[in-house]
Amino acid sequence: MKVTVDAVEVEVEEGTTMLEAARAAGRYVPTLCFDERMAPFGACRVCMVGVEGNDAPLASCTTPCSDGQQIHTDDETARRIATATVELVLSELPAEPEEHTELAEVARALEVGEPRWQGVQHEPKHDARHPYLAFQHELCISCGRCVRACDEVQGAFALTATGRGFHSNVTAGLDSGFTDSTCVTCGACADTCPTDAITEHLLLDLVGDPAKDGGPQ
Amino acid sequence: MSHNLIEMLRARERDGEPTAMSILKDAVRDHGEVTDDDRRRAAERSGLPEATVYGISSFYDDLTEPRGHRHVAACNGTACWAANAGDYVGDLGERLGLKPGERSEDGEVSYGTVYCLGFCHSGPAFRDGEVVDAGEGALARVAGGAAVQAEEPEGRSVLDEPVLLRPGDWSGLTHALESMSPEELLEEVKEANLRGRGGAGFPAGKKWEFARNTDSPDGKAIVVNGDEGDPGSYIDKHLMERNPDLLIEGMALAGYAVGAERGLVLVRSEYPLSMPALRAAVERAREAGHLGEDIHGSGFDFDIDIEEGAGSYVVGEETALLGSLMGLRGTVSARPPFPAQRGWHGKPTVVNNVETLCNVPFIASNGAEAYSALSPGVTPGTKLVCLNERFRNPGLHEVRFGTTVREICEDLGGGLVDDREISAVQIGGPLGGILPAKLLDTPLDFDELADVGCMVGHGSILAFDDQTDMRALATHLLEFGAEESCGKCFPCRIGLQRAHEMSARPELIDRGRLEELLETLELGSLCAHGGGMPAPIRSLIEHFPSELGLTNGDGPDQPDLGAEGDRRPEEKAQAGPQQPAEDGA
Repeated sequence: MKVTVDAVEVEVEEGTTMLEAARAAGRYVPTLCFDERMAPFGACRVCMVGVEGNDAPLASCTTPCSDGQQIHTDDETARRIATATVELVLSELPAEPEEHTELAEVARALEVGEPRWQGVQHEPKHDARHPYLAFQHELCISCGRCVRACDEVQGAFALTATGRGFHSNVTAGLDSGFTDSTCVTCGACADTCPTDAITEHLLLDLVGDPAKDGGPQ
Repeated sequence: MSHNLIEMLRARERDGEPTAMSILKDAVRDHGEVTDDDRRRAAERSGLPEATVYGISSFYDDLTEPRGHRHVAACNGTACWAANAGDYVGDLGERLGLKPGERSEDGEVSYGTVYCLGFCHSGPAFRDGEVVDAGEGALARVAGGAAVQAEEPEGRSVLDEPVLLRPGDWSGLTHALESMSPEELLEEVKEANLRGRGGAGFPAGKKWEFARNTDSPDGKAIVVNGDEGDPGSYIDKHLMERNPDLLIEGMALAGYAVGAERGLVLVRSEYPLSMPALRAAVERAREAGHLGEDIHGSGFDFDIDIEEGAGSYVVGEETALLGSLMGLRGTVSARPPFPAQRGWHGKPTVVNNVETLCNVPFIASNGAEAYSALSPGVTPGTKLVCLNERFRNPGLHEVRFGTTVREICEDLGGGLVDDREISAVQIGGPLGGILPAKLLDTPLDFDELADVGCMVGHGSILAFDDQTDMRALATHLLEFGAEESCGKCFPCRIGLQRAHEMSARPELIDRGRLEELLETLELGSLCAHGGGMPAPIRSLIEHFPSELGLTNGDGPDQPDLGAEGDRRPEEKAQAGPQQPAEDGA
């Protein structure tokens, strides 16, 4: 079947998502929880697009295309929702994201400014007990990419989402750190993390001495 | 929802092991908290990874707060809040010497809050163990360790022959098995245009057809959403406890029409009497041959399990409900796949609300035409509504669609106690809009309520009297929204937290900023929780702008343009005592 993305017509197979169609058409759609190695998750709501005939924008990563659809990646409402959502994400972090992170890239692409909604932020909590992998829990935005990488890519099931609502986060094993878990040190979690909440130590070394952060706080 | 985790559970299904969540619940019952040993044991028995079990144990209220031998909880639901009972959460905590979430040092007593015990007719309500006490003197009785089970009103129907408040007698199932094919029953339910009673109003027949038409090598399931978490609603509670046979009959009929052999009910743990009532009814039905194999010689097999939840509002959303029923975290999943394609243990699954299924025996016995005739010219069938403690005659009523909200409030409810005036009513739960007194002539029906920013929802009619502080109400609702967000999608996870903070601060609220946040929630959220929580706030902005304390950036917004019944806070202060804002839990 055929769909049109911003006036570019693309031929897609049944079950293709709008995000895949947009990328096939060479259009940019910002994402935070999406990683093409894993099944779409639909959590970040940053990949919103406008679809003709639909009043409200749709999350492109989880919405399958139908034949003849006209998709707009530059839909005004979709962009407004995506931008506001990234703004909310920045408001929960105690520090601005490092420039090289995917979160910072998306914020730049959407030209997100100072968050208009301010309030409590995540408390710093570091875990550097593992020789190679480290958590900076306050940078976690609960996109679920690390948990899914560990499940779907590596099959190690060492990670889980924790808590509920604003207090959601991620941890390894029985909240006992990577070492005391089924982690196989593959690094898939650090590789996919869009905020540096999980990093390989080498990178962390550049920003500070992990030994000083000690164990869990 | 993780495909791999579901496959792990599916592989264990035949072993009949309890879910990880129920093993953790047993641990709390046994020794008051979840330990790492409990988590390891739950992982081993359920076949789930340890990390996954840790995630489950950190999600549910019943698993995260320490429990004493005696656990006391104060209802923080909106009906209890609206009862003008002052700071009853703090007062009871003081009497117990505990703050919400705490346990005494000797491990004897613990204290918490809970969003709705379903005693909205006589709040504020308190739970002490399995006993729920409510209304006048309840706080003192509970504090003194002498709680008495509160009485509950009988349901009343405006119909001579009630549809939902008649005891289930299995005549619908007997009739269907004798004289209707599954396809004919499905057609009848579609023809009856039975709309879901849990909030979304989706046609039940379409859902059934979707599941019926999905091929499955290992069966299908009918799941009942007994997680009536909407504060203010005690309709499903009434049906599950007083009329469980009708619900079970409706499930069996759904199973027959869909081609499912398995039925499951997830009952919320906040209703201690619901699970025993349902289990007893299932046992009776098995003994009478209404459930089991080859029911009444028809060749149709169907049986039912009753499971208990662990405290989470969003588990009332169907994908979260399925996660919880499998013992996993109760977070929402993006659709597709829809439950009808891939639901409980990966099988095609119909998720229906309790009241929805209670309509089915009537349709099976009497047909779609008779069903449509119940509410002439409007949505077919009848609706249960329930009224809160503010009414002179609070209780549960079966009404025809199209009845006006005023008729329900005045003729059935008898107006408010102490001759107070209704300032507004919230219909259908926390995701429903708030109808100001001037719009009470709106008919109770899907489209008519939608036109004024409201919804039928669960059917609760929760009145706020003229003493209610609308800003405090906004804060109360948004606190509920933020606390109960499952945390999956970003707009809801962060947006409801920020909206609550805006309302809880003592300053004026920037209207433009609030409205942009509400739009982000409405259009960005993954499910109806984040999408629906703005509805009552939008109503308050529209009908009570002065009282809400809005600013347009340059100063108070529309200070003299408030809607009818809207007053500035200083005027309100002269009218009577204020409802203190809750900051417990």
